[in-house]
Amino acid sequence: MFAAPETYKHDLPTFHSQISMPYTLTPGRAAGTFLAEMPNRRIVGSRFPGGMVIAPAQDFSPVDGEEPEALVQVPESGVLTAFTRVGGVVIGLIRLDGCANEFPHRILADLDVLSVGQRVAAQWSDGDEGTSITAIKGFVLAPEAPEGKVTDLADPAEPLGVIDYSMSLDFEHAYGPYYGRMFDEIREHGRIIGIRTSNGEDALLPPREVDDITHKRTGTWKACGNTGTIRGCSIINMEILGQSRKPPYVYAEIVLDGASTRMIHVIEIDDLESAKEKIRPGTRVRAIWTDGERQGRVSDIDRFEVIED
Amino acid sequence: MGREVGIVGVGQTHHSRRRTDVSQAGLVREAVNRALADAKLSMDEIDTVVVATGPVLFAAVNQPEKWVVDAIGAQGKSVVRVTSGGGAGFAGALAGYYQVAGGYSERTLVVAYDKLSEGQLQYSISTLYDPFWGREFAVGIMGFSAAYWRARMDVLGHTEEAAAMVSVKNRKNSIANPYAHVKKEVTVEDVLNSKPLCWPIKLLDVPPISDGAAAIVLANDKVAHHSTTRPAWIRGIAYCCEADNAPERSLMLSEPLAIAAKRVYRAAGITNPRRQFDVVELQEPYSCFELNYYESLGLCPPGEAAELVASGATQLDGDIPVNPSGGCMGANPIGAVGVIRLIEGATQVMGRNESHQIKGAKTALVQSGGGWANLRGCAVLSA
Repeated sequence: MFAAPETYKHDLPTFHSQISMPYTLTPGRAAGTFLAEMPNRRIVGSRFPGGMVIAPAQDFSPVDGEEPEALVQVPESGVLTAFTRVGGVVIGLIRLDGCANEFPHRILADLDVLSVGQRVAAQWSDGDEGTSITAIKGFVLAPEAPEGKVTDLADPAEPLGVIDYSMSLDFEHAYGPYYGRMFDEIREHGRIIGIRTSNGEDALLPPREVDDITHKRTGTWKACGNTGTIRGCSIINMEILGQSRKPPYVYAEIVLDGASTRMIHVIEIDDLESAKEKIRPGTRVRAIWTDGERQGRVSDIDRFEVIED
Repeated sequence: MGREVGIVGVGQTHHSRRRTDVSQAGLVREAVNRALADAKLSMDEIDTVVVATGPVLFAAVNQPEKWVVDAIGAQGKSVVRVTSGGGAGFAGALAGYYQVAGGYSERTLVVAYDKLSEGQLQYSISTLYDPFWGREFAVGIMGFSAAYWRARMDVLGHTEEAAAMVSVKNRKNSIANPYAHVKKEVTVEDVLNSKPLCWPIKLLDVPPISDGAAAIVLANDKVAHHSTTRPAWIRGIAYCCEADNAPERSLMLSEPLAIAAKRVYRAAGITNPRRQFDVVELQEPYSCFELNYYESLGLCPPGEAAELVASGATQLDGDIPVNPSGGCMGANPIGAVGVIRLIEGATQVMGRNESHQIKGAKTALVQSGGGWANLRGCAVLSA
């Protein structure tokens, strides 16, 4: 709504954040069987009513959503239908003999000898890749490979129910002029500044360009206090991923003196019962800043402490 | 407004803590097949599809609708995905409603699901917080929900006992729900003595974590009769939002829900909700929310929710039964819950609820919500 002036620097430092989590994914019966058969060096496909075969095996037809009538063993040979190179690795689309679809895998050949329509064959990994699709190391050119046939799948392995997986995502968020100004102040001077509402003296935290209530441009900057009042709080007594400290501790939504909006922070406690009595909406608290070097983050405040009467 | 919109077919999975026999797509298919069969329709007769799920971080598949399309045979149709946290299913139903009411579709399938066994629920929700301002100290949805409840406790009298009564009521009701997977009766003492997780929230104030999907078929008044002689007509539906951290934001009544209720009640001709509704289905992830919604929806004045639940009025045999299905306490596949609540409300007014049919139910109120209490909606259904 209000753009930064054109003289504003564009190559400013960013705020790093990471989201990192473990997962237990469920592949379903068909894909689960395909993966379970990888150590047995068999490629499993799905045969649908009408005879169409899809590999790797899928629970549902990509044509009409029908369920397969049988899981089948498909040949290890096929045709290269597309290819590219990504990060030094050649990736191709392969249509296995007797199958109606293509799937991506590594091509174990240089880009300059490849052409669409070439015959290829699977090369199995020498190592133990477990139930990963990388048990197929990749596909090699196989001009002499005969046309393979789809056959029944004898004694299929039990499908995998769960696959362990993890994801770790790194982000570099741009602060923008308002957050940037606030975090600069946190880092340089160890104090929190907000921005006045369009028509009042109380500060909005975090600062923003537009007042949420009046929808007018916010006012001037203002330093907020190092003390504040709890609006809401709960006593965290369970462990979850991403916690900054061991439970029990208090999660609190605090309005700093001079501000009108809340900030989220924590208060350390000795035990549950005394915290119930001592820490409640209305309790006065003080920010305790970190002893270390300030980074320009909310966690430069290590914690809040109750102000004893 | 254009055409009248009715729910003409419903289907949900038998929810469970963990389904290892099906993928996300397989789960969706089960619910869709049931809803289509219920509506006596095939996928060919569906014009548009809305897929609703919670945040993708719940199960690590981005844009899962592309995967779901294969599983439900929706190739070539208009397919959009809607996501809105815990209110995803409800927001999906609203999107479907707009398509049919606006005349762009005669029949729309809305399917909503989450497969929560696959990921880290609370941490995924922590990532909804502003990365600069709050995420470092976020404790999923439970930390802040408990903090809001704590604030309401002092001002509105939402005591631990009152919330425990909600949990006791809903857990008892879910025993008869064929789709629920937590079916165990508890007492108020059990709830009060259960382990504090984010006090005042204790273990038995908390719904299960579930894998599940739910689907509804919406049809306009021209074609609804092909599916059923008694559709559940949507008399009003709204889903409203408040600012995330605005200066005047109260932690007390849910303002967006009160705004949504005002709009929906006006559309549906509701002037006395307590008297006019025969049955209510609320999304109460954490028992304390149900107390908040009694007040925000005008079932009782602010500050009287504890009294309302203690009076027994919201029990099965009360004058305003709330969550005869057991609500979230029986099953809580988050993204699907908005649609599950609509299904439970719809089947009540269609006269064929499978858990606890409220005798002669003609008008139902359904509520759902997402975000951090800042996205809230409701709908009125009637036969």
